[in-house]
Amino acid sequence: MLLLQLLINGLVTGCALGVIAISFSLAYSTTRIFHVAHAGVYTLAGYVAFALAGLGVPDMVALLAAMAVCALVGALIQSELYARLARRRATHLGVLIASLGVLAVIQNLLSGVFTPNIRPFASAWRGRTLSFGGVTLTQVQLVTLVVCAAVYPAALLFTRRTVLGKQIRAVASNPFLAEITRLEPQKTYIIVMAIASAMVAIPGVLVALDFGVQPYDGTTVLLTATIAVIAGGVGSLTGAFLMAVLISVLQNLSLLVISGEWSVGVTFLIFLIFMLFRPRGLFTRR
Amino acid sequence: MDFFLSYFILASIFVIVGLSTNLLVGVAGIFSVSQAAVFGVGAYTVGYLLSNDVMGFLPALVLAGALCLLLNVLVTLPSLRVSGDYFVVTSFGIQLLATAAFTNWDGITGGASGLAGIPPADLFGWSVDNSYKTLALTGVIMCIACLGFALIMRSPFGRLLLAIREDELAVAAAGRNVLRAKVEAAGLAGVFAGVAGGLYAVYLSFIDPSTFDLNASVLLLTMVVLGGARTLAGSIVGPFVVLALPQALAMIDLPTTVAASARQGIYGALLIAFMLFRPQGLMGRRL
Amino acid sequence: MTEAAPYLQVSGMSKTFGGLKALNDCSFAIDSGKIICLVGPNGAGKTTVFNAVTGFLRLDEGTMTFRGRSLNGSRPPQVVKVGIARTFQNLRLFEDLTALENVASAVPRQFGGEPFVALFRPLHTARGQARTRERAREILTDVGLAAHANTYVRQLSYGEQKLLCIARVLATGAELLLLDEPTSGLSGDALEKVIALLHRLRSEGRSQLVVEHNTRVVQQIADEVLFLHQGHLLAQGSVASIMADPHLAEIYFGGAL
Repeated sequence: MLLLQLLINGLVTGCALGVIAISFSLAYSTTRIFHVAHAGVYTLAGYVAFALAGLGVPDMVALLAAMAVCALVGALIQSELYARLARRRATHLGVLIASLGVLAVIQNLLSGVFTPNIRPFASAWRGRTLSFGGVTLTQVQLVTLVVCAAVYPAALLFTRRTVLGKQIRAVASNPFLAEITRLEPQKTYIIVMAIASAMVAIPGVLVALDFGVQPYDGTTVLLTATIAVIAGGVGSLTGAFLMAVLISVLQNLSLLVISGEWSVGVTFLIFLIFMLFRPRGLFTRR
Repeated sequence: MDFFLSYFILASIFVIVGLSTNLLVGVAGIFSVSQAAVFGVGAYTVGYLLSNDVMGFLPALVLAGALCLLLNVLVTLPSLRVSGDYFVVTSFGIQLLATAAFTNWDGITGGASGLAGIPPADLFGWSVDNSYKTLALTGVIMCIACLGFALIMRSPFGRLLLAIREDELAVAAAGRNVLRAKVEAAGLAGVFAGVAGGLYAVYLSFIDPSTFDLNASVLLLTMVVLGGARTLAGSIVGPFVVLALPQALAMIDLPTTVAASARQGIYGALLIAFMLFRPQGLMGRRL
Repeated sequence: MTEAAPYLQVSGMSKTFGGLKALNDCSFAIDSGKIICLVGPNGAGKTTVFNAVTGFLRLDEGTMTFRGRSLNGSRPPQVVKVGIARTFQNLRLFEDLTALENVASAVPRQFGGEPFVALFRPLHTARGQARTRERAREILTDVGLAAHANTYVRQLSYGEQKLLCIARVLATGAELLLLDEPTSGLSGDALEKVIALLHRLRSEGRSQLVVEHNTRVVQQIADEVLFLHQGHLLAQGSVASIMADPHLAEIYFGGAL
């Protein structure tokens, strides 16, 4: 039935959004930069996979390649742009504007090369569906759900158990202190950006497999993800992931009463409510 | 000749929006990608009021300005109380919401196909129905706007905004209300943008949602960044230079769809380049 | 010794930052018309006290009253209106403005401070501005910086900048000044100038709470000393009694005084 279908759809897109949210949260809470260009990296991933798939590369390999490319791009944005701006003592506003510039460059480069239209993948297994209990899921949706849901605990494990993860959290909690100990925050920032960019490539490719590639869609998606991060509490990966799923489910359920073009409004309304009543989010770190 | 007229008319309109963006982003330091949305609200307001013969041009322009003032104040107030980055989200949200509204609110905005046949401005019987008259109109209003901007910047209010840009905490410690000043700056920026939008609507006589989308907001930011923040000269130079760019691009033979992307991509590249190498723009102060 | 209501009174102030207890049940009261020095080793919470009283910080616990009026929950501009203003350890002057403009920024009730007033009453605004500048000039003369009115902050010497900080806080019209290390980094002539200024301000009736590390300066200016340690008030008394206490000396210097 419709309600269950919408719910399942919401869960699938929610997990994908959740990965985008935790990748953004990782980058933001460490570097303190509101990296709007992340939307560009997300979009780039889809196109890299699209181009490779067009050359006959198997989808799995294309995904890994996209992750690698995005990791590189993210690292470069940090080392060549953000680090330079920090050295020149650019204002917070200046960095935001530069990030917006990167987003515009990436999106329009892709639009110029691949046209601004939606272009679907030619993959054979895209269309295959499963049905049970009145609900239909494409195989891509299933893979998205499983893979993205797995990224969340993996990310938690990484930040809590590994040495690198703990180092990142140390730098994130006190960059000044990190500067004068031997934690080398600048190097950490590059690593974090690479990881976050590789992470966002996963939903970037999977969602593109499902819906096709499009140059300008990433902005709205990232916006929703950042709302999830803020509502969940900056610094909390769990908060970000859970809120992302919640928002997606709500967005999908709202389709019962309002038309799809206003779903941005639903998300934004959620954001405004949080801003008015609980600006620190649900699961703040401290 | 026609081409030059159109260039100057558009440039003068964009100077007014530029002043608005400069006030908001350059002076008050509020990151905004929703300037085009406000510009659009002004345009649609005047377009609708004139097309449906509700009121004359000048009252419509005043209403557009007031509406946009209110819009900016409502948007800035809740988000500025929290940290600055949250306003980035709000700004994107407003821009995307506005585009959705322009596209879907068929009854008022004509939907995706836009609002056509907006009658020319009528000033007490004098119909602004050719390019020369339009240039006169936009030119005069541009001069008034520039005068207003200069007055503001020299006033205690303007100095307060500049001090806030430098060190908010010190300003608060000196006993000034920082939030109120920022919201007032946003409101004022709204008036400028709304008026510019109204002029745009009567000049082109046709407006559609794609003119006021995120790309347009990036264009407006590029004008301020390139021209230079916080100065009158920067607000004038920026639009004139950036509007000349598409002409330079036209020299290279590009298919039309790629041309649009190329333009937007260049704006992005300009933003990066200026932030890295010349944050004060051509004639401004460090952003 | 009897007062109707204590001038500034704080009680049970506590504040924790991410595991660090900056203020720990800190309580004290001060009378008006005096220079009171707030001393203690680094990290004792002196600047945190300033931040809390002036509304830059929300306390976890505790109350603060000034002339019987609660300060809890007030934001910095409101605290200034009530009559308390502070300077910063790291100056925080507006570097792109002149000395005169820095002082003018703190003069209250300026005509033309709202955009529509500035736009529609430009003549009134201009006249108001002239008055503000006059007031700012008076204050600069008071602190001895009249000659540098039109000099940009970055071109002033460190000593002159420290005087400018005091000028700016005087411009607010506040009666209780919280000065955060007003003499740090100064020596010789510049140091003497600041000390003389603080004395003169006291004789004009301005109460001052001063964070100070230099014991010589404390001896020269303090009517009373508050000794803070680990966010808690350890001792309050005359300069002599505090200085003579070997226990306090050990905390402060780890040994000799």
